[in-house]
Amino acid sequence: MNLGTRKILDRSFTAVGFGSIAVMGIALLIVLAPIIYNGIGSVFFTGTLEHRNMLFNEFGRGDKEELVKENAASEVYRKQIYGMLDAFEAELETMEPEKKQDYLSKYGPVRTALQTLIGPLPGEETAILTRYKYGQTRWEKAEEKLHEFLYEAKWDYSNPDVMAKEYFVSRAAEFEGTSLVKLFPYVEKHLPDVLRPRFTVYWGFLTDSSVDSHIFGGIWPEIQGTFFLAVGAMLFAFPLGVIAAVYFTEYAREGFFNSILRSANSTLAGVPSIVFGLFGLAFFINTLKVSESKSVLAGSLTLAIMILPTIIRAAEEAILSVPKTYKEASLSLGSTKWNTIMTVILPAALPGILTGGVISLGRAAGETAPIIFTAAVSVGSAIGLADVFSSPTPALSWNIYNLASEHEAAAEIRHVQYGMVLALVSIVLLLNLSAIFLRARISKKLKG
Amino acid sequence: MMSEDVLKESGRSGAFIVSAQKRKMQKLAKTAGESILLLIASFVAIVVLFIFYFVTVDAIPYFQLQGFREFFTSSNWYPAGDPGEFGALAIIYGSGMVTLGSTLLSVPMGIAAAICLSDILPFSVRQYAKPVIEMLAAIPSVAFGFFALVIFAPLLQTQGGPILMWAWWILAAPFLLLAVIVISDLLSAKIEDPKRRQQISMFLLVVFGVGALAFLYWVGSVLQGIEIITGTNALNVSIILSFMALPTIVSVSEDALQAVGRELREGSYALGATRAETIVKTILPAASSGILAAVILGVMRALGETMVVWMASGNSSHIPEPWFNYLEAIRTLTATIAGDMGEADQVTGSARYHVLFAMGLLLLVISFISNLVSERIVVRQRKILSGQ
Amino acid sequence: MTADSRETSQKEQVKTANREIYLPSERKNISGGGTPHVVAKDFSIYYGEFEAVKKVNADILSRYVTAIIGPSGCGKSTFLRAINRMNDLIPSCHTTGALRFDGEDIYGKFTDEVLLRKKIGMVFQKPNPFPKSIFDNIAYGPRLHGLNDRKQLAEIVERSLRKAALWDEVSDRLDKNALGLSGGQQQRLCVARALAVEPEILLLDEPTSALDPKATAKIEDLIQELRGSYTIMIVTHNMQQASRVSDYTMFFYEGVLVEYARTAQLFTNPKDRMTEDYITGRFS
Repeated sequence: MNLGTRKILDRSFTAVGFGSIAVMGIALLIVLAPIIYNGIGSVFFTGTLEHRNMLFNEFGRGDKEELVKENAASEVYRKQIYGMLDAFEAELETMEPEKKQDYLSKYGPVRTALQTLIGPLPGEETAILTRYKYGQTRWEKAEEKLHEFLYEAKWDYSNPDVMAKEYFVSRAAEFEGTSLVKLFPYVEKHLPDVLRPRFTVYWGFLTDSSVDSHIFGGIWPEIQGTFFLAVGAMLFAFPLGVIAAVYFTEYAREGFFNSILRSANSTLAGVPSIVFGLFGLAFFINTLKVSESKSVLAGSLTLAIMILPTIIRAAEEAILSVPKTYKEASLSLGSTKWNTIMTVILPAALPGILTGGVISLGRAAGETAPIIFTAAVSVGSAIGLADVFSSPTPALSWNIYNLASEHEAAAEIRHVQYGMVLALVSIVLLLNLSAIFLRARISKKLKG
Repeated sequence: MMSEDVLKESGRSGAFIVSAQKRKMQKLAKTAGESILLLIASFVAIVVLFIFYFVTVDAIPYFQLQGFREFFTSSNWYPAGDPGEFGALAIIYGSGMVTLGSTLLSVPMGIAAAICLSDILPFSVRQYAKPVIEMLAAIPSVAFGFFALVIFAPLLQTQGGPILMWAWWILAAPFLLLAVIVISDLLSAKIEDPKRRQQISMFLLVVFGVGALAFLYWVGSVLQGIEIITGTNALNVSIILSFMALPTIVSVSEDALQAVGRELREGSYALGATRAETIVKTILPAASSGILAAVILGVMRALGETMVVWMASGNSSHIPEPWFNYLEAIRTLTATIAGDMGEADQVTGSARYHVLFAMGLLLLVISFISNLVSERIVVRQRKILSGQ
Repeated sequence: MTADSRETSQKEQVKTANREIYLPSERKNISGGGTPHVVAKDFSIYYGEFEAVKKVNADILSRYVTAIIGPSGCGKSTFLRAINRMNDLIPSCHTTGALRFDGEDIYGKFTDEVLLRKKIGMVFQKPNPFPKSIFDNIAYGPRLHGLNDRKQLAEIVERSLRKAALWDEVSDRLDKNALGLSGGQQQRLCVARALAVEPEILLLDEPTSALDPKATAKIEDLIQELRGSYTIMIVTHNMQQASRVSDYTMFFYEGVLVEYARTAQLFTNPKDRMTEDYITGRFS
């Protein structure tokens, strides 16, 4: 081959390598960017008066006098809206039955859309579900709902070859010639006066319980559940893993039995996470009956088994990287082997062991599959520490799945889902970053 | 002997001699201590045995009730029916499909990245590249699943054609260009006269170049015309899974590449090979078994993953038509276990409950075999490299 | 000469060498010194099948400095490490014959190697302070053996550091990490750490091989200081060092103790041809 061609090949080879790394970086960015951006929106957003009312009624937070004033200001515009509705309803009564029926069928959806937008209208029964007690609490959702209020979405099926196309029809046009036609421009114009949007920082998102299955409120029960599960798993796995690593590095003699143990370790590391879930269900719950049904305890035990190989491997590596001379020095001073391990080797290996532990903690916090059958519930409040032996718990990982895939109003609470994902990802990544930081410090320290 | 006498004179007895009884106690304590350690270290092995035992014990009743045939040969999955149908063929096929898809995407990229990390990047850059990979590995699978379902799937559904076209151009264009250069170079290599050779090479370059461009454009426009019915499909899942398998493949391959010594590299450079030639002809063959192990581990990561496939594969139990259609919704073993247990758990003891354990057993056996194979491979490579 | 006959002749020489240990006039200078402290009798060390040290017979005299020299791989370090049973760390290592310390068998059935090592301190090739403070490094040994009183520990730390001629340099930063010291200081710290458990014997395994000339000189001065208080054995690959610091010198070759004599005599008038070749630099 030509030398020139060889060089081009060489360069492009390098480019492919760089490209792959770049793709990974970009993938990380593409996945993280929307999660971070939207996730932050669950705490920092433009909140409406409804949000402040909800906070006051459900959590008892907020300035009461201020709220009364604001509600009074809002009421001025609401009165106008209610007045228009009343006027139209009165007008309906005067219509001939056929026409009335026609308008009624169109009027129903308008009322519903308006109610979704600004909250319960006078004359409705008090709603049982909290979600019907308030209008839109977030301004960007309110704008979306305003559009739904102003326009009716229809589907165009005229061309059977392509997918149906969505198009919008103005509701105002449908009520042409009635008194209601004024309502639409009025609401469009005065929505900010009714809902009074204002920049809001809602830290309660992280510390509040959820209200009406996450329509309102925060994700504290999930954060706490994740914490219980992950820490519980560490309580079991960390001591076991470190002791096993001490055995493998300091006591095990080469041989058949030892190689079996090592094989077992890598086999355990390769077991699919959902199989851990099956095992946890079949063993901890159905056989050992550590709890009546799902519980934090069963979930922690299952997670512990899952992270055990990682901890063992990290601890082994950390112990092996302790210079042999430390051990020699200690023994030559008349220390026993066990004492040497406890006073010299483990302290020197501690940062490395902790790094592995921290990464495993992150893994335990992030895993979903093992806790589906053993610990997780979709709805529920935060549980007390005493309940961990008997109660299941909501957890970030499981509830992200549940809210995104199974919640009846999944599309309405995207901000909650994003907030949960961001909370989970930050927990895990912060743990990992601290591990990276820890490791950098160790290598610096070992260099002297 | 003189020395003995002197010692007796001095009358000092060694302070390090202890009584037989104390020595015995010491030995006993040591043995006991080591036994306890061994017991704890064996815990992992015991757990592995337990996992196999308990999954198998709950899988057997299914096969007793329904036999083997339906599970592996039928695609009719109606576990809630009366009587239920438990054909898992389409589900097994779906698992295979996303695993294959993610492998095809992640293996070339992973190996290229590993080479880049071990042989190309300067240390200062590598310091920043490694945390990126670690972070990619650390992101919880449910977060990937959420991304696939909420962000990527709608994007595929609305912008599928253009996305495919752009991906095709970005991926295929550089490689086709390279191929054109190499082929025209090779075809003209036989010509003796350097001037004529250059002319012919240029001519070939232009001809092939135009052809390649036409080909790129044609495939691109075909791809652009594709309409994706549902964003939650095998392609979506394969892409996401490939990013989840990448860190495993990169880090294990990089270890394998690092294990190939400096001497081999220097030997090749000294013979006038370029870096690419050194890597492709010398280092990759030497590290091949380690890389194979990395690929196996990556494949296992994709096969065993639950949340992404559960959330974003569409969960439709049928074999796509045509069989390679990655744009259709599919269903996998892991997602079926996760999704059906909620209802099956109510009827413990039914075939519907135990069939999920049969699926778990299938996954377990596959992962066990893959692990053994990759472990053997790594051990063998270490032996070869250390010259034993 | 055939290999066999060479070996026999070497063995004879070893015996000769042993018999002709010259008990010198210095004996007077060191009170209570000069008695056999460690005694090897037909002592061999094996790594699996390989006999690394071959039937050594020697008396090591108390409170003198004995140097062990020889080409690398001759078994000198192995012999040294056998004295405080550091070779136990190597699973395949075992011994035959007898090695006695104060008349008691080091490899005996009732030997507690932990107590043994308390009596026989060791300093290694590379300075190996623990990644702890200077104070904790020195106090490590005494604490191990049950001393926890802070005041007493402080006394021991000061005494040991003074003995190791390090006190003046580090007295103001005892709580600083020992890894922050220079290489030479670290090595003297290791000596101080070994002295803190009040051993009778100090084994030095090429203690200056990782140090610069200046630090080496300090360690050598230190050895001279300690001479007379401790039985010191030093393995060194540096013959000048052996001649500078030691009273007696052992020359090992391929596991055999070829010659053992007063240092002045061994370096000026070696009995054995091999010794002569080695010290004149004809092989190394």
